[in-house]
Amino acid sequence: MREASFHRLQHRYAPYLFVSPFIILFSVFGVYPIFKSLLLSLYITNGPSDHVFVGLGNFKFLLGDPDFHTAVKNTVIFALCSVFLQLPLSLGLAILLSQKWLKGREFFRLAFFAPQLVGQAFVAVLFGVLFVPKFGIVNQALAAVFGMPDDTKWLQNPSLVMPALVFTSLWMYVGFNMIYFLAALQGVDTELYEAAKVDGANSWQQFLAVTVPGIRPVAVFVLVTATIGSFQLFELPYILLNNSAGPNKSGLTLVMYLFQTGFVSGDLGYASAVGWTLAIGVLVISLFQMRITGAWKGDNA
Amino acid sequence: MPTFPYGKAAFSFVILALVSGLFVTLHRVEPRKTTLTMWTFADTHYESYRKALPAFEAAHPGVTVKVEHVNIQAVTSRLQAAFHANLNVPDVVEVEIGSAGSFFRGPLEHVGFLDLTDRIKKSGLWERMVQSRFATYTMQGHIFGLPHDVHPVVLACRRDLLEKAGIDINSIETWDDFIKAARKVTIPGKQYMLELSDSGTDNLEVMLFQRGGGYFDPEGRCIFDNEIGLQTMLFYVPLVAGKDKIGSTLGSNQILTQAVEQGYMLCLFAPDWRTKSMERDIPRMSGNMALMPLPAVSKGGIRTSTWGGTMLGIAKKTTHPDLAWELAQYLYLNTADLANRFKDTNIIPPLKEAWNEPAFKEPRPYWSNQPLGAVYAKLAPQVPPQYSSPYVVTAKAKFGEALVSCVQYYNANGANGFEDYARKRIKQSADEVRRLVARNPYHKPQGSEN
Amino acid sequence: MSKSPAVRLGRGFVYLILAVGAILTLVPLVWLVASTTKSNDDMFHYTFFAPHFTAVNFTSLFTKMPFVNYIMNSLFVASTTVLVQLFFSSLAGFALAKYEFKGKRVIIVIMLSTMLIPGQVLMAPLYELINHLGMMDSWSGLIVPGAVSVFGIFLFRQSIMQVPNELLQAGRIDGCSEFRIYWDIVMPVSRPMIGAFCLISFMGSWNSFLWPQIILHNRTLYTLPVALNQLRDLYSNQYGTLMAGTLLSILPVVILFLLLQKEFVAGLTAGAVKG
Repeated sequence: MREASFHRLQHRYAPYLFVSPFIILFSVFGVYPIFKSLLLSLYITNGPSDHVFVGLGNFKFLLGDPDFHTAVKNTVIFALCSVFLQLPLSLGLAILLSQKWLKGREFFRLAFFAPQLVGQAFVAVLFGVLFVPKFGIVNQALAAVFGMPDDTKWLQNPSLVMPALVFTSLWMYVGFNMIYFLAALQGVDTELYEAAKVDGANSWQQFLAVTVPGIRPVAVFVLVTATIGSFQLFELPYILLNNSAGPNKSGLTLVMYLFQTGFVSGDLGYASAVGWTLAIGVLVISLFQMRITGAWKGDNA
Repeated sequence: MPTFPYGKAAFSFVILALVSGLFVTLHRVEPRKTTLTMWTFADTHYESYRKALPAFEAAHPGVTVKVEHVNIQAVTSRLQAAFHANLNVPDVVEVEIGSAGSFFRGPLEHVGFLDLTDRIKKSGLWERMVQSRFATYTMQGHIFGLPHDVHPVVLACRRDLLEKAGIDINSIETWDDFIKAARKVTIPGKQYMLELSDSGTDNLEVMLFQRGGGYFDPEGRCIFDNEIGLQTMLFYVPLVAGKDKIGSTLGSNQILTQAVEQGYMLCLFAPDWRTKSMERDIPRMSGNMALMPLPAVSKGGIRTSTWGGTMLGIAKKTTHPDLAWELAQYLYLNTADLANRFKDTNIIPPLKEAWNEPAFKEPRPYWSNQPLGAVYAKLAPQVPPQYSSPYVVTAKAKFGEALVSCVQYYNANGANGFEDYARKRIKQSADEVRRLVARNPYHKPQGSEN
Repeated sequence: MSKSPAVRLGRGFVYLILAVGAILTLVPLVWLVASTTKSNDDMFHYTFFAPHFTAVNFTSLFTKMPFVNYIMNSLFVASTTVLVQLFFSSLAGFALAKYEFKGKRVIIVIMLSTMLIPGQVLMAPLYELINHLGMMDSWSGLIVPGAVSVFGIFLFRQSIMQVPNELLQAGRIDGCSEFRIYWDIVMPVSRPMIGAFCLISFMGSWNSFLWPQIILHNRTLYTLPVALNQLRDLYSNQYGTLMAGTLLSILPVVILFLLLQKEFVAGLTAGAVKG
C-alpha cells in the first residue's frame, strides 16, 4: 500500500524533477539575459562600467541609422534568396533523388549533404580562397567554361558580394534541406499517386494534388527554420569578408551589425536595441509564415 | 561486444569524452606564472621579441616575461573585454592603429591604458622619436601608447617590366608624370600600373594623408569632407573608374604579390612592412623590384604618406608599471636590437638615432641593390600624422561608401557634374559620422556646437 | 522491360543534372584536399594538385601550434556538451511528452518562442553573467550555458510522443520508478533520435566560433576554430597551412557522420516529419 502511494507521488512529481535542470539553467542563462538585454537596450554603454540612460533613444536612433538600414536590406535579400532559391532547389533535388529507378541514390545523397558537415567558419575560410580573383577556382572555372574575365572581384566588388554569399550558402544548405524533403517524399502514401493516376492526373497535377499536401508539415518546418537561420547569418560573411562588413557594407547583416556595435565599438546598449528589433522582426515573420501556410490548423501541442 | 542500449552514437561520444578528457587532463599545462605578459598580433613581431627577451630577463634577475601571439581581431575584442571585466589583462600589449581609437570611447579616466605622457616627456623620448607618430595614440593631450613604427609609404615597382616599356622610375617626380607613364603600360584586364582599390579606402587614404588631409583633426572633429578630402577624391576616382583607369586591385596581400610576379600589377603601395611580404611571397622577383618615393602632388611636394601602424600600451591594471615601462623601452629603444629587427621585418623604428646603424644602409639585392632602410629613413621625418578618434573605423567605412558611390557615378556619367556630386556625397558620409560622434555621451569634441 | 526513347532521354537528363550538381558540390572539397598538398609557392600556380606533393603544410601546422592539443580540446568540449545536452534535453523532452502537469503549456510556449530569438541578442548580458560567475576563460563558460538545448527538448518531445504508453505502463506495473522508465525503457527505444541529436549537437559545438573566441583568452584552452583563426595573420596568409588546418578540423565530423549516418538521417527527419 505504501509502495503504491510512493509510486503515485513520484508519478506526480517526476515531471517537475525532470524539467527542473532545464528550468534552472534556462532561468539563469536564458530568462535573466533576456531581461538584462531589454534593460541594456535603454542605455548607451561603454563596456559594463559606463552606462547612460537614454530611454527609447537607441530605438529612435536606429530608425534613422543608415547602417542599420543597410543591414536590414542585406539580411532581407539574403533571406529571400534562401527561401526562393535554396528551398526550391532542395525540393527539386529531393524529387529527382526519390525516383524509384534511380541508381546511385546513396552516393548523390551523401555528395549533396557533405558540405553541411563543414562548419560555417570553415566554409568561409575555404570560399575566401576559392573566390580570389585571377587565381581562385571560381574565376578560373568561369573563365574556362564561359570565357569570362578571370579577375572578377567577387569579394571586393560591392555588387558581387551578395551573389557570392548566396552561392556559398546554397552550397552549404541545399543538400541539408534536401534530406528533409527526401524523408517527407518517402512518407507520402504511394497509393494516393496510383489513385490520382487512375483519375487521369498528369505529373504536375499529381504533384499539386498529392505531393504538396503530403509534404506540407515538413515544408513549413524547413521554411520557418531556413528563414530564422538566414536572419541570424553572421559567421559566414564575417569570416568570408576577412572580419569585416565588406566593401560598401555590402555584406553587413543584422547580427554582424549587432556584433560590431557591441563587441568592437563597445556599445552593448545599442547592440541590444539592434538585437531586439531583429528578434521582433523574426517573430513576426515566423508567425506570418505559419499562418499563411496553415501550420496552426493541425497543431494541438 | 555487449550492446550499449543507447545506440552507436551515444556510445561513440562517451568514448570520445573519456579519451579526450584523459588527454586534456594529462596534458594540462598550468600557465607559467610570469612577472610580465605581453600580447602581440603580428607573427614577425612575436618571433623577434622572443629572440630579444632572454637578454631582458638576464638583466633583471627574478623577472620572467612571456610574449603571446594573439590574432589581431581577438586582441581588440579581448582587450576591450579584459579592461572592463575582472580579467587578467596583459601587462604590455601591442595594438593596431585602426583599433587604437576604439579604446578611447569612454571617459578619459576609464581608458584601460596607462597614461605615458610624463614618462615620454621626461625621458626625452618626445624629441628622439618621429613626433607625428604619437598623434594616433593621444587622447585629449594624453599619450597612451609608444609608437612601434613610422610606416612611410613608397611604391614598390617591377623595375624590369617598366624599363622594358621605356619608363625610368627615377624620372618620375609627380603624380602627373606617373599617370602619363601609366597610360602607356595599362591594358585593362591584363596589366595595371598601380594597385588602386575602387571599393576600399586603403589606397585612397594614402593619397589623403599625403595631401595633408585626414579623417579627424587633433580635436576629434570629423574633417574628411573638407577641400583636401574632396580634391583627393576628384583626383583618385578617375584613376580607378572610367575608360582611362590605371589601377585595380585583387584583394589580399598574397594575391596582390602573386599578381606582381605575373606582371598583372606593376606597382604596389609599399609601406615598409609590406616589402617583407613581397620578399617572402615572391622570392623569384629578386633583382626585378625597386622602390620609388611616392610621386609628389606637385613639384617639390612631400613624397611619402603612411599606411598602418602599431602602438605599445601598458595596462593600467598591471602590478609592475615601472618594469613594464622598462620592457617597452628595452624593446623599442635599443638601437642594436632595432637594427636586428629591421633585418627581420624591414620595419624602420620611429627612434631617429637608430637609423644610423649600418643595417639601415645596406644595399638590398632584392630591391635592385637599393638601400631599403635609407630610402624609408630619408622620408620618415615627413610622414604625416593620423589623428585618433574612437570613430576612425566608422569614418573609414563611410569614406569608403562615398568612394563607391563616386566610382559608380563616374562610371556612368564621366566627369560631367562629378565635382558637385562628389562634394555632396562626401559631406553626406561625414555628416553620418558626425551624427554618431554627437551621440557619444562621454566626451564631445572640443569646439563642437553641441 | 524496354523503355521508350523519351523516357530514356528524360532519365539521362536527370542523371546529367544530378552529376553536375554533385560535381559543383564536391569540387570545393577536392580543391581543399589538393591545396593541402601544395607548397605556398605552387598554391596558385596549379589549379588542383601540383606535380610534387609536399607535407610541409601539415608539418608547419603541427610545429607552429600545438594542433593535437587543439583537436583534443575541441573533442572534449564538444563531446561533453553532447552528453550533457543529451541527458538534460531528453529528460525534459520525456517529461513534456508523457506527463500532464501544471505549467506544461507555459513551458512549451516559452520554449518555442525562445527558438525565435537570435542567440546573439543575449550575448552581451550573457558575457557579463559568465564573468560574474567566474566562468570566463574556461571551458565551463562554453559548456554550462549551452547545457540544455531547447531544440533538443523539442526533438525528443516529438519522438518520445511516438513511444506507446502501454510500454510505460508495463514498466510501472513491474515497479519501475519514473526515472527507470526514462532510463531503461524510453531512451533505448529512442536510439534514432539520440543518434541524430548527438550529431547535430556535436556539429554545433564543434563549429562554434564566435562565443569561444570571446570567452577563451588562454591559448592552451583554444578550440579548433579559434586556433585556426589565429593562423590568419595581418601581413600574410599562409594559405596552405590554413587549409591543412581546415581539412583536419572537418575530418572528425566526416568520420562521425559516416559512422552514424543511418541513425542521423532517421532521427533528423523523424522530428520534422512527425512534427
